[in-house]
Amino acid sequence: MFPAASRKPPSTSMNSASHERSPMCVQGDSGLVLTTDPKPRLRWTAELHDRFVDAVNQLGGPDKATPKTIMRVMGVKGLTLYHLKSHLQKFRLGKQPHREFNDPSLKEAMDLHRNTASSSRIMGRSMNESLHGTEALRMQMEVHRRLHEQLEVQKHLQIRIEAQGKYMQSILEKAYQTLAADQGLGYNKDQVGGDQVGFVQDTMGFHDLQLFGGGDLHLDNLHQVHLNQPLDHGLYLTPNDHPSSALIGKKIMATSHDPYITNPNEKSPFNWDDEDDDDDNLHVGKQEELHQNIGNIAPGLIDAAAANGRRMVVDVYEAKPMISNAGGSEGSTKMDRPSPLRDHPLSMEGINAMLIGGSFAQ
Amino acid sequence: MLLMEVIMEEAGAFSGCSSTTAVGDRANFMYDWNEWETVSAEEWALLPSAGVVADDFHELVEAMMFSTGDDVFQGPSAVGLESVSHTASYNSSPSSMASSEDEAAVVSRDDKGARLVDLLVAAAEALEGPQKCPELARVILVRLKELVSQAAATGGATSMERLAAHFTDALQGLLDGDVGGGGRRKGSVRHSADALTAFQLLQDMSPYVKFGHFTANQAILEASAGERRVHIVDYDIAEGVQWASLMQALVSRPGGGPPPHLRITAVSRGGGSRAVQETGRRLAAFASSVGQPFSFSQVRLEPDGERFRPAGVRLVKGEAVVMNCILPPTTTTSSGSTQSVASFLSCAAAIGARLVTLVEEEAEETPGEAEPVVEQKGSFVGRFMGELRRYSAMWDSLEAGFPMQGRARGVVERVILGPWIAGAVGRAYKEAVSGEQKEGRWGEWMAAAGFGRVEMSCFNHSQAKLLLGLFNDGYRVEEEGCNKLVLGWKTSRLLSASVWKPPLPPPPPPPPCLDSSPLPLPLPLPLPLGAFDSYEISDFFYD
Repeated sequence: MFPAASRKPPSTSMNSASHERSPMCVQGDSGLVLTTDPKPRLRWTAELHDRFVDAVNQLGGPDKATPKTIMRVMGVKGLTLYHLKSHLQKFRLGKQPHREFNDPSLKEAMDLHRNTASSSRIMGRSMNESLHGTEALRMQMEVHRRLHEQLEVQKHLQIRIEAQGKYMQSILEKAYQTLAADQGLGYNKDQVGGDQVGFVQDTMGFHDLQLFGGGDLHLDNLHQVHLNQPLDHGLYLTPNDHPSSALIGKKIMATSHDPYITNPNEKSPFNWDDEDDDDDNLHVGKQEELHQNIGNIAPGLIDAAAANGRRMVVDVYEAKPMISNAGGSEGSTKMDRPSPLRDHPLSMEGINAMLIGGSFAQ
Repeated sequence: MLLMEVIMEEAGAFSGCSSTTAVGDRANFMYDWNEWETVSAEEWALLPSAGVVADDFHELVEAMMFSTGDDVFQGPSAVGLESVSHTASYNSSPSSMASSEDEAAVVSRDDKGARLVDLLVAAAEALEGPQKCPELARVILVRLKELVSQAAATGGATSMERLAAHFTDALQGLLDGDVGGGGRRKGSVRHSADALTAFQLLQDMSPYVKFGHFTANQAILEASAGERRVHIVDYDIAEGVQWASLMQALVSRPGGGPPPHLRITAVSRGGGSRAVQETGRRLAAFASSVGQPFSFSQVRLEPDGERFRPAGVRLVKGEAVVMNCILPPTTTTSSGSTQSVASFLSCAAAIGARLVTLVEEEAEETPGEAEPVVEQKGSFVGRFMGELRRYSAMWDSLEAGFPMQGRARGVVERVILGPWIAGAVGRAYKEAVSGEQKEGRWGEWMAAAGFGRVEMSCFNHSQAKLLLGLFNDGYRVEEEGCNKLVLGWKTSRLLSASVWKPPLPPPPPPPPCLDSSPLPLPLPLPLPLGAFDSYEISDFFYD
């Protein structure tokens, strides 16, 4: 019923090694699929790959797992260390962000999908082969429950990180306002320490991104920034730093076109209704307060920045129209929506929808 | 060798040093140093200027600590000779090094790091232990400073050099300031804009702070599910950052309905009560912005001994009480004294807490045979090396995550980690000198004192893993026992968060002759470590 070698979910085919067209496949009695060309090569079917991924996850991730331990855990006859070594290496590389995927949230969704839903595929396949209906169903439900849980954790984590960021932001602002008030002038570089002003700018810049870019931006970007060694070091803008600060600006723009941000009015399986009103009011209020503050702060900082030739910082500020129109928030970018808290779960819903849809699409 | 002559002269004047032979040894030590000094200047000329990045400095430290352990830990003069000859052998033929430049670069990079570590350990040895000699320590520190500042001048100090600089300062602080040293007091640092900015940076660059907060918060959420009132007694509220995300989580609870009323009682110490009040105000403002019913109060520690008095905490009927104890300092430099923390934790049953969340720094697991025999766990040198290991891991983790943001890291190192190092070294010294030693971690203490373990939920564990996933993948979280999560960087354990419930009080003995109190009599906890004061029951009551 489930042909072993054909329909593979897109994620595994992207990352597994089995792209190569092998003319004919036979299924040996060890359960391995070997090709019939002169040099029999192992075919990494979806099922085998799923078992592989499971074994790797059991062992604590691709960095911790070794071919030997994987072999032991998988317990598949005919599988040699060489097979595993090369497959593990490809798997590890495959876990790095693919250049093909431009969209960070898609990539993250793929990761999540691949790793947590793989067992559901195994369940799906073995279901028809060996198990009774109810038992299989229970297992599938278990898997979906786990998946759901994982998403819940992610969602809540985002909210909590944001809240902490907001709070830190407010403390920092108050501290700088006090500082400014004490000195009577705007930010005197010498007082704070020339370097520090730069860092205030930098950190403020970063936290503006956190606050106004929405939760998914935050997580995705951090995720990407930390994994994407080559380009994205633009979190902290130091004078010698590169144009990746502009990249951050672009990322903000990009996510507003994120296909996974669904219609705000769509009813989501995860019920956010009870929080809507509160969040809307709060966020509007808070944002305005912050806009004003930033409006006060920004010109002084931007002057300092320009004076130091820190073009990069100004780039970031320009990428966010609300800053340069100090106080005006009619920009149509994503960050200006009154309820960033609402936005991000919707993109998560989008991801979730894809995942649930995807995992059923066997 | 003019310098040598000077030193020989001074050697005679060293006080507190044992014998002339020892002095002679030290003079040789100096002499070797002088030779070494000239060579090293050439050696530095060989190094590529920028970009000598010590990737795994802390692995180097580990290797130094353990593999060459025999050499290093035999007493100050031996240390000096051994280590210097060890490194001197590298330096004795500069010409051969010049020929294979790449190799020399690698060798001398490790060599530099090894040298710094050796010197630091030697200085620590000189400050404490059977052959302690402050003068020697002073000289070593001078040398260290030279090395570090030279490096800074030539091409920008590498991370190992900056780390060594902080440890050098810490040791210097021990020598200069109070020998009972806690180093600089944190008062001025706190709340200043610089400190806050640096703290913000630290939070964004590493999961160090968030890990403890989020794990504790999740445990609190789970324990207080369904309660209408939650009361948290916080040992060190600092900026109150932990509670912002808890409030948000309370407000966003699935299942809807109004959030429970949150009350926080913050413990303040010494002159810090104004800062605590300020934090309370900020939390109240945040709470109202998210719609969380909130109230705040303060309770002071006793001025002497900083002991916690449960009677100072106002309790309300029907509330779920949680004690929160985050030990690693955040914006302050020092965490509570051993006595103070013990008194706090001991009162868990007294105030009817249903949960105690503990976040503390973790030490390395005893590696067993790798641990050098000579080194005692409680000794200053042992602790010093533990701190060296820990901070080198933290240094590495920051660098690995943000290799290009050297300035940001520099700010964090200077404003936050440097003072932490000074505090840790000072504490280690004070405890070693005063004989008041605390073996093991507070977690072990609690287990021995009858605290029950509360299981860490899957949600919590998943959350920690996800959180770490946002940062560099060198971070690891491990579950230990059923109630503890340990955050580590590569192989080093950094921090742990654990969840406990207070020991059940025994059936109350006949009340002592004091006014009757609504609180159950606290359990006189069996304190397994003889160094603590024993707590009489009467200690727990007012007047």
